[in-house]
Amino acid sequence: MATALGGFKAIAPVPSASDFVDIALSSTQRKLPTVIHKNFKISRIRNFYMRKVKYCANTIDERIGKILTEFPILENLHPFLMHFLNILYDKEHWKIALGQLNKARHLVDQVAKDYLRLLKFADSLYRAKQLKRAALGRMATILKGQKNALEFLEQVRQHLNRLPAIDPNTRTLIICGFPNVGKSSFMNKVTRADVETAPYPFTTKALHVGHTDYKYLRWQIIDTPGILDHDIKDMNVIEMQSITALAHLRAACMYFMDLSEQCGYTVEAQCKLFQSIQPLFRDKPVIVVFNKVDIARYDDLTDENKAFVDEILAQPGIQSVSSSTITEEGVMSVRDAACDALLAHRVEQKMRGSRIDAVANKLHVAVPKQRDTKDRPAFIPAKALEKKKYDKEDPERIRLERDDEVAMSGLGIFTQDMKSTSTRRFWSIPIQLLIYLAFPPLAENYILDDEEWKYDVMPEFMDGKNVADFFSADIAEQLSKLEEEEERLDGEGFYESGDDEELNSEEEEIADAAAQIVRSKAILKQKSQAKHISRAIIPRKAKNVTLKQFTTGMRDIGLDPKHLERRAAVLGEKDKAAYDAYVKRQEAKEAAEGKAPAADGDVEMQDVAEGPSGSARGVSARGPKTNRQFAGMATDAQATKAALLRKFAVREPNRMARASESDRHIPITRPKWMMSGKRKQGTNDRR
Amino acid sequence: MAVRAQFENSSDIGVFAKLTNSYCLTALASSSNFYSVFEAELQDVIPVIHTTIAGTRIVGRLTAGNRHGLLVPSTTTDQELQHLRNALPEEVAIRRIEERLSALGNVIACNDYVALVHPDIDRETEEIIADTLKVEVFRQTVASNVLVGSYCALSNQGGLVHPKTSRSEQDELSSLLQVPLVAGTVNRGSDVIGAGLVVNDWCAFTGIDTTATEISVIEATFKLQGQTQSAVINEMRDSLIDNYA
Repeated sequence: MATALGGFKAIAPVPSASDFVDIALSSTQRKLPTVIHKNFKISRIRNFYMRKVKYCANTIDERIGKILTEFPILENLHPFLMHFLNILYDKEHWKIALGQLNKARHLVDQVAKDYLRLLKFADSLYRAKQLKRAALGRMATILKGQKNALEFLEQVRQHLNRLPAIDPNTRTLIICGFPNVGKSSFMNKVTRADVETAPYPFTTKALHVGHTDYKYLRWQIIDTPGILDHDIKDMNVIEMQSITALAHLRAACMYFMDLSEQCGYTVEAQCKLFQSIQPLFRDKPVIVVFNKVDIARYDDLTDENKAFVDEILAQPGIQSVSSSTITEEGVMSVRDAACDALLAHRVEQKMRGSRIDAVANKLHVAVPKQRDTKDRPAFIPAKALEKKKYDKEDPERIRLERDDEVAMSGLGIFTQDMKSTSTRRFWSIPIQLLIYLAFPPLAENYILDDEEWKYDVMPEFMDGKNVADFFSADIAEQLSKLEEEEERLDGEGFYESGDDEELNSEEEEIADAAAQIVRSKAILKQKSQAKHISRAIIPRKAKNVTLKQFTTGMRDIGLDPKHLERRAAVLGEKDKAAYDAYVKRQEAKEAAEGKAPAADGDVEMQDVAEGPSGSARGVSARGPKTNRQFAGMATDAQATKAALLRKFAVREPNRMARASESDRHIPITRPKWMMSGKRKQGTNDRR
Repeated sequence: MAVRAQFENSSDIGVFAKLTNSYCLTALASSSNFYSVFEAELQDVIPVIHTTIAGTRIVGRLTAGNRHGLLVPSTTTDQELQHLRNALPEEVAIRRIEERLSALGNVIACNDYVALVHPDIDRETEEIIADTLKVEVFRQTVASNVLVGSYCALSNQGGLVHPKTSRSEQDELSSLLQVPLVAGTVNRGSDVIGAGLVVNDWCAFTGIDTTATEISVIEATFKLQGQTQSAVINEMRDSLIDNYA
């Protein structure tokens, strides 16, 4: 229904009573936890069921509340809509249905309240569950009691959705009259509503709406069912709709009459009806339409009938217009007369209101006061006046870019580009044609002295300079002129700015301080960077310290290093003695070798055996007896090579202070996350 | 005559087109529908030119111009300037101006004789406007809006101004411009006239949302299709009262 009937909102479907119960219960089941054990704490069990009851009641409350707010309160609507809905659905019925729903809502709330109170005292899972069951059951019973109300509201909703979108406040023309006088036929002529017409009475059983344009405005035309001339109490729903529209819409009324009496009612009866519904026409423009003039005109009437008609027309403010929906004679003049009458009526009313002041400026044409004698004529090229109006259907029409686009759209390559135009001359003629079709050149429309120039390739940059900067022929001249002026201005002291070059003492101080701050900041930064070194730090114990450094350090802190010095001297002498012995041995060996080089296999053998192990032996008397570094090495060369390889292998990890597999590593034997804290059941605290 | 158009589903066509008595600029679009609306009315009369300004499509808001000249903002590229120079008739002067308020279409409203400009525009710019467009320049506001170009549309025959322009202000502006003025709306009640309407002395283009009433006001205001401004106070008066009040 969206904007239909005065623009109240679309109403959501109303569920039937059993659906309503299903909705409430299943949502309670789906949206809440379902697992409960009897050995849970009783407070937990109670809460579980209390929540169910509360939630179910809330769901029902919300759903009913939504229905209640969505159905409009009839009294708040436009009088026409109120009466219209009253006729269609009976106001009392409507009110009772909504009232019952409201009551049901309160009952459900009350049930929930009662059972929540009881649930507080439930002492077992079983009892709590039974209480919940009872509560939900009672709520379902209450809902089932609303079966009729819900059904009625759903029907009303469905019917409301199909009602025509009548706007009670806009410009409206109402067509009324006896059945079968040609109201709907007229409607079909004037609007595009396509109302059903048939040659029997009461073809139209409800209000129909159509729209037409006149005088730049949009007009709503309402076709009403026929009315019979009897007391309003005896009228049926169909007739009452017409009466309501006539009574409550501020519209122009078009009273249709069939002077040929083909509709089955005499002219006299038609005039009587006019008289009896006349009170509804008060303060409204009324147009009496003599329809079916192709059969009978006013002049064809008998004197008696003429008298009846004249009596109507004699009343003030009533116009008559003739029309025939078959020959279409006068149809538009009827509409125009009605529209004009209504427009005049509405304007007159609006002129009396206060809002007219707000629009006064829009109804004003400001005409200029002559301020000089200058003539300011419009400039309309002769071609513009000669130009034929563009007509899409005309085979001779001018060709537009859109036509090209449509022609090329099959290939999907239509595009325009400001830059793609200049390359085409490099291609052969058929390809040029293709490119031409694909890229309609923007350059095509250039207005240049020579047609040839259109597609010229022009560099944007040349010799590192923007070509556009040199567009003017006398650019050099202009530049020199500017420079001259600059020089002149400079000479005149135009650019010299005051005496703010020298700094005073205060400013100097500030500058000094700033420089100091910058320096000390730099130093701080360096220090801080030095702290964060990423290489391995050698512990002090492992650092290589000379004896002198060590003893001086001890003396500085007031310790006597004499004992150390003595021991160092002893060790030094020992080392020296060992070294001397070694040197002697070497000399002796060299002397022996000198005598018989490589001749003696024994010596060679001994040399090999002694080589690797011997070199280490002299280093420390207290060291291990064999150097295991060289274990398994056959020759010296092998040993040196192995040492070299080892050195290379550890160089990179050492440099990066990386851990490697050769590092000593003690894995965590009792990880804290495994050994402490709570477990699912009980704790891990073993004490 | 007034023709409805839309630019890629936007009815603010004044943003994407600029129409004067000697040329028409339209934005480069993905289809040629918009261009062809102008082409159908203007082909062979004045050049209709596809262009961008500073790489953007809002050519109508960035440029200002009339029969004598075209002003483009400093952001216009050399290539665009070259393209415009090639495509425009020789008697139309083009000038690229250094102006802080670079949306020239919003700050300048002009016809071939008079221009209204934003009150804060540079003095030099004002001189350039007067020289290039050969107009008298007035610093003005329209319904206390400084963006005069956005809130009015002018031709040599008439002008449509912001709907809230008071009668006295209309009279004042009209005396400056020396054309009759009407207050009105475009695009179903939009007050940004400059965005919804482009107009010259013999045709007008409006946004697709413009109502029949608005179109008829536009046609009367700009004396299109043999209408005159007096229609607003005579034939159309009742419709307007019923529509607005």
